[in-house]
Amino acid sequence: MTTLTQERHRTAPLPDDDGGAPGAGLLSSIGLFTLRSLRHSFRDAESVLMAVLLPVMLMLVFTFVLGESMAVGDGTRADYLAFVLPAIALTTAGFGASYTAVVVSNDVTTGFMDRLRTMPFPAVSVLLGHTVSSMVRNLLATSVVLLLAFALGFRTEASALELVAAVGLIAMWILVITCVFALLGLVSGSAEAANGYGFILLFLPYVSSGFAPVESMPSWLQGFAGHQPMTPIIDASRALITGGEVGSDWWIGTLWCIGFIVLSVWMTAVVFPRKVAR
Amino acid sequence: MSTQALSETRTLLGRSLRHIGRSPDTIITTAIMPIAFLLLFVYVFGGAIDAGADDYVNYLLPGVLLITVASGIAYTAYRLFLDLQGGIFERFSSLPIARSSVLWAHVLTSLVSNTVSLVIVIGVALLMGFRSGAGVLAWLAVAGLLVVFTLALTWLAVIAGLSAKTVDGASAFSYPLIFLPFLSSAFVPTDSMPAPVRLFAENQPVTPIVDTLRHLLGGTPVGLEVWVALAWCVGVAAVGCVVAASIYRRRVS
Repeated sequence: MTTLTQERHRTAPLPDDDGGAPGAGLLSSIGLFTLRSLRHSFRDAESVLMAVLLPVMLMLVFTFVLGESMAVGDGTRADYLAFVLPAIALTTAGFGASYTAVVVSNDVTTGFMDRLRTMPFPAVSVLLGHTVSSMVRNLLATSVVLLLAFALGFRTEASALELVAAVGLIAMWILVITCVFALLGLVSGSAEAANGYGFILLFLPYVSSGFAPVESMPSWLQGFAGHQPMTPIIDASRALITGGEVGSDWWIGTLWCIGFIVLSVWMTAVVFPRKVAR
Repeated sequence: MSTQALSETRTLLGRSLRHIGRSPDTIITTAIMPIAFLLLFVYVFGGAIDAGADDYVNYLLPGVLLITVASGIAYTAYRLFLDLQGGIFERFSSLPIARSSVLWAHVLTSLVSNTVSLVIVIGVALLMGFRSGAGVLAWLAVAGLLVVFTLALTWLAVIAGLSAKTVDGASAFSYPLIFLPFLSSAFVPTDSMPAPVRLFAENQPVTPIVDTLRHLLGGTPVGLEVWVALAWCVGVAAVGCVVAASIYRRRVS
């Protein structure tokens, strides 16, 4: 009896007691969940097919069907291909990132997050794993877009540094929409709802300077298209990819990205603890 | 079709229409995508696209009407699949009703719901500035061609609905049909396309149908393409009807 009481009220561990497993560190658990998320996404044939088919279809339709009818540059197909390239990369990334909302929502609604409460590692690593996984997937999709563009005849005078800067800007936007979609996945009641809420983000590239010059749009639409976040990002990426003059677009685009990231990370920091309260 | 079969078809049509009446969102959902295409191509791309037309909405509308039908028939396949899975066909086969009336009810329901969607899309186009120089006869010809086109695609939807293994499979078949107008004269003239794409675009069914509708709506003379358009529609409808009937017999025998 005394032994039991002593055991129950013991505060310090016995000499041979290691005090329990120390748990996984943040980086190793992020790595673990990134691999889990990547494995899931590559097993999902539909999302893999979408990631490859969407840029291919968009590129082929806009280049070969609409290309010579668009009043861009000299009105040639090659000019329009260079014009539309950043928009297709960002549109593809948008669709790829929307998958994050679905998987995060599934993790919350199927009780996976609840199971993790009992395990000795930071719960936020699940979310960060999905984010890193989305970045990897969408950078792969972006490289598919760029390779396809070169295969279709895109050529550039841009330096390697400018191309890296363009990919960096695109990567920053991928991070933005991934963070936003992860947040939507957390707050929505189902995967379908998460996808629905994010539809507006997927529509943004179309109502920007991505597929047609802002000046060619009606005046009431120009106001929105000229001042929404994607226009400076697309214009800066286009200038960097084609070796043109970047101007102020790059820092306006960067500010938009930083603003979105800060806002979505802050909102996630508020919402996430409530979802996985221990 | 006997008077008895017509009466049975009418009864089953009433049943299907009641289903649609209880979920009108299907018609709205069907109309949303073509309306989005209208808004996007007219307001965002329209100013930059040189289609050789004074008003791009007038050039674009015929193609968007075909996309409306192509997205609408996905629901026909979906409804048919649900009926098949729910076992209602087996219950019908035990009743003294013509087998054909079950399929025809679904086909006519598709015709009614797609007509409503088409009217909505034309209404939006009118608000966006679409104007037609067509007379009453030309409008009747447009309606007739759209009806035949809807029938043709609906029979394809019936095949998909009867053959599908999953709900997604039942409606996914419509994606290529929605995509087909993009590789036609629906959005831009085919002569602006590279040779291989142009070759396909000029010899696929959507192009003569779109061109015929465009001439009819524009009040301009229609050439031989009207017969090519009708031949495609009637041909697809006839083949679809025969194939669907044989699959249906196999599924519910």
